[in-house]
Amino acid sequence: MKKFFILVFCVLWSKVLYSQEFRLSGKVTTTTGLPVKYVRVSITGQSRQSVADSAGVFSVYGLKPGQYEVNFIHIGYQKKIQVVVIGTTDVFMAITMDPWQHQLKEVGVRNKRGEIRRQTESMNIEVVGSEFIQRNLGGSLMQTLDRLPGINTIGIGSGQSKPLIRGLGFNRVVVVDKGVKHEGQQWGADHGLEIDQFAAGEVELIKGAASFLYGSDAIGGVIDIKPRSAPAKNTFGGAVDLIGKSNNNLYGTSANLFARQDHFFYDARVTYQNYGDYSVPANQVFVYDYAVDLKNGRLRNTAGRETAVHLNTGYIRDGFRTVFYLSNVYSKSGFFANAHGLEPRRVDTEMHDRSSRDIQMPGQEVNHLKLINRTEYSIAQHKLQIELGYQRNFRQEFNQYVNHGYMPPAYPDTLPIPPDLEREFDKHVYSVNLRDEFKAGKHLLTAGINAEYQHNRINGWTFLVPSFNQMTTGAFIYDKYELNDQVLLHAGMRYDYGRVRLFEYQDWFPSSGATGATGGKLIRANNLTRRFSSVVWSAGINYNPEHFVLKANLGKSFRMPIAKELGANGVNYHYFSYEKGDANLSAEQSYQADLSLGWNAKNWSVLISPFYNYFPNYIYLNPTAYHDYFYGAGNQVFQYSQSKVMRYGGELKLRVDLLKGLSSEFVGEYLYARQLSGDKKGYGLPFSPPISGMISLSWSPAFGGGLDDTYLGIDYRIAGKQDRIVPPEKKTPGYTVINLQAGTKINLFRQPLILNMQVQNLLNTKYMNHTSFYRLIELPEAGRNLILSLKIPFQLKTDAN
Amino acid sequence: MRRINFLISPVLILFLLTNCSKDNDTATDTTYPEIDNTASDAFPKQCSIIKRGETFTFRTLLTDNSELGSVSVDIHHNFDHHTHSTEVDDCGMDPIKKAVKPFLMIRDFPIPAGSKSYQLNTEINVPADIDPGDYHFMIRLTDKQGWQTIKGLSVKIQ
Repeated sequence: MKKFFILVFCVLWSKVLYSQEFRLSGKVTTTTGLPVKYVRVSITGQSRQSVADSAGVFSVYGLKPGQYEVNFIHIGYQKKIQVVVIGTTDVFMAITMDPWQHQLKEVGVRNKRGEIRRQTESMNIEVVGSEFIQRNLGGSLMQTLDRLPGINTIGIGSGQSKPLIRGLGFNRVVVVDKGVKHEGQQWGADHGLEIDQFAAGEVELIKGAASFLYGSDAIGGVIDIKPRSAPAKNTFGGAVDLIGKSNNNLYGTSANLFARQDHFFYDARVTYQNYGDYSVPANQVFVYDYAVDLKNGRLRNTAGRETAVHLNTGYIRDGFRTVFYLSNVYSKSGFFANAHGLEPRRVDTEMHDRSSRDIQMPGQEVNHLKLINRTEYSIAQHKLQIELGYQRNFRQEFNQYVNHGYMPPAYPDTLPIPPDLEREFDKHVYSVNLRDEFKAGKHLLTAGINAEYQHNRINGWTFLVPSFNQMTTGAFIYDKYELNDQVLLHAGMRYDYGRVRLFEYQDWFPSSGATGATGGKLIRANNLTRRFSSVVWSAGINYNPEHFVLKANLGKSFRMPIAKELGANGVNYHYFSYEKGDANLSAEQSYQADLSLGWNAKNWSVLISPFYNYFPNYIYLNPTAYHDYFYGAGNQVFQYSQSKVMRYGGELKLRVDLLKGLSSEFVGEYLYARQLSGDKKGYGLPFSPPISGMISLSWSPAFGGGLDDTYLGIDYRIAGKQDRIVPPEKKTPGYTVINLQAGTKINLFRQPLILNMQVQNLLNTKYMNHTSFYRLIELPEAGRNLILSLKIPFQLKTDAN
Repeated sequence: MRRINFLISPVLILFLLTNCSKDNDTATDTTYPEIDNTASDAFPKQCSIIKRGETFTFRTLLTDNSELGSVSVDIHHNFDHHTHSTEVDDCGMDPIKKAVKPFLMIRDFPIPAGSKSYQLNTEINVPADIDPGDYHFMIRLTDKQGWQTIKGLSVKIQ
């Protein structure tokens, strides 16, 4: 199989064109690297001209040696003039075009870009811009994206959630922020994603195997968060966002200021959000059989705060750009006080109910610092890109000391760990990506290398995962070959190598019955070094005739086992589970086939995207029938093991324009997973979203009179029941929920105000979400929530051109 | 009319998909095992009183629809009122106090392989020199497939 793909590569390579006359060719992209299609290319004083194709590629033939002035013109972009010298060879130019005006006009351009991306990638891609985020603003970026088919979240409370792409999440989804892989503590269901959704310019979601481009972990898919585009020349402006939510009494703001002269620009943003306990449509919930009364339906201690600071600055000139991104995202939030995980807790109700905004224990505090530099340099036929990144993810989980298992009844004051620090994870990550994109005839080749080094240390009075260091590196080549105007062929291959080193951990307390040199203190983790390597590949096709869309992709992905899977050996007391790693796990492999078939007509369109996925060795935390009395202190043993897993499913999207301005859309998703071997043969996988669909109607009337971009929408969401469960899950009944969205742009004295409103869960329906962290203790999802946001963009100086 | 069909078809597709996906998985067991201490001779029950320096008989009925796994008992103090039981009744807690020498017992009891039902009947000795007060008597029962049922009883040791 491997040989076959090498062969395909060679064949594609060999078709590089050669011509007698000199040719000027090139590719037009936006500053973020996306192709700009149908750009008019003309040469001053010459009759020859050309129009770029759908991939942004153009060619002008029959040029004699000399100096030429080449003009690039396209609606929505600033005109670009570039001088080129033709010597004795063909010349390739990489051109970047800036959108005509910053931010205010961003929306239309973005939508178009998304469309282009979808048409030129054989993988299943969704692209959403900042407008989508604003209209569907959820408690976190992932909750906002939840509206897309095939995308779900594992949520905890109103402000934290992590992505699930077609039922795969945790370390099987890669989140890329500004070109660098975002690294937090992805393995925890109660850990959110440390991303400020207000700073996102565009989010690209790849559903399916993408390891050949993104390396280990990109088995389920990729969420690529792109920064807002650089301001246009000679501008100075900004925007202020104000947000309010009724359910958890959230108030927040995000303020942005940007400026650019000729080459230098800066872009700064500050976001602050403060929310109280969220409320559910119930005054009493049951933890096991024990009734817990809620004051005003509020889930005690689920309040939180979030602050984010971003500072971007860069230098842009023709063929060269370098941008530094500095950001710090901090959040502090509480966990529901009456039960943590499956553990019922006795609480001081009076203390908790004094304020719905205080954050007591149990709670978490996370700080994510990031410094990234992205540099891009175009020379001859090459576009070189470099990303350098440093991240520090610092997470602390607080809880009152409880002497679980063999821990001493009183917390020893000689211990250097603070008595309320249950767990701490301190992660430093250094990343380097190098990429070269070059055009050779009808081939667009991308070759690159990535390297990442992680340094992880732990603290706290409970133990789950040992400290570890990890190094991963990979090299890839990807060819996109334009067979003709309608057919694109893709082939990619990648080699990865990784090494993980786990460090010894010893309990701070003796366990009953344990003896030896450690005085009864158990050694939970031994020093361990594992090395992994893998070759992955991908091949695909795009066929885009006028109305019909066809995409097919076949790929192999892989994932290195994480430190927790190799070295966990502790009790997760919130789940009464003793989680036991396996030092001998092999790297997880996945084969996936993807298909997209669609038809676009004037008044309607349909897209169906089925997939099939097979894992020969899926890593699964298997709940066994046993209890462990030593390392596990009497808890049920959950053992990491590997089994064959088969998954299939798909999404359906149907849009019909009913009348002018009135359109209706249906999106649906279905997923089936089955373990084909091992202890849980016949069972599915945990956190599997049920079948669901959403019917929406949206109306965009043209009112005039100072109101623009007015829209009104209603979503009717139907989710089926989920009966395919694995321990310790519970069957979740189906539900229906109605959401409303509305918004408009008001022009007051030439100053636009953009107003967005949403009502989530309009009927205050009491339902449970199968993929919620709080599902196990039967907590209903949030009740009715009115969300108001106001955006005030301003331009203090605009480009006179 | 055509447009109405468009609106209805997704609902139909969804309906069909839901119905297709029902069938084939009746084989997997999704039933939790049960701990039944409602019998008159079952002990301990919620709010039972256990005497120090004596031996009591732990008696409860364990059942599962297919096959029982293992059972574990964890007796630990609740002098700090950290958690509550899984049961409805509140037993009236003693004031919060500091543990000096609390009773701690973590033990498993074998269940014969292949059992769907098992009457646990075993003696547990409580030392005389331990701290009296509020305790939790936690029973954790698994079945062969890994479903776990937890019963957390509040008991008093005097």
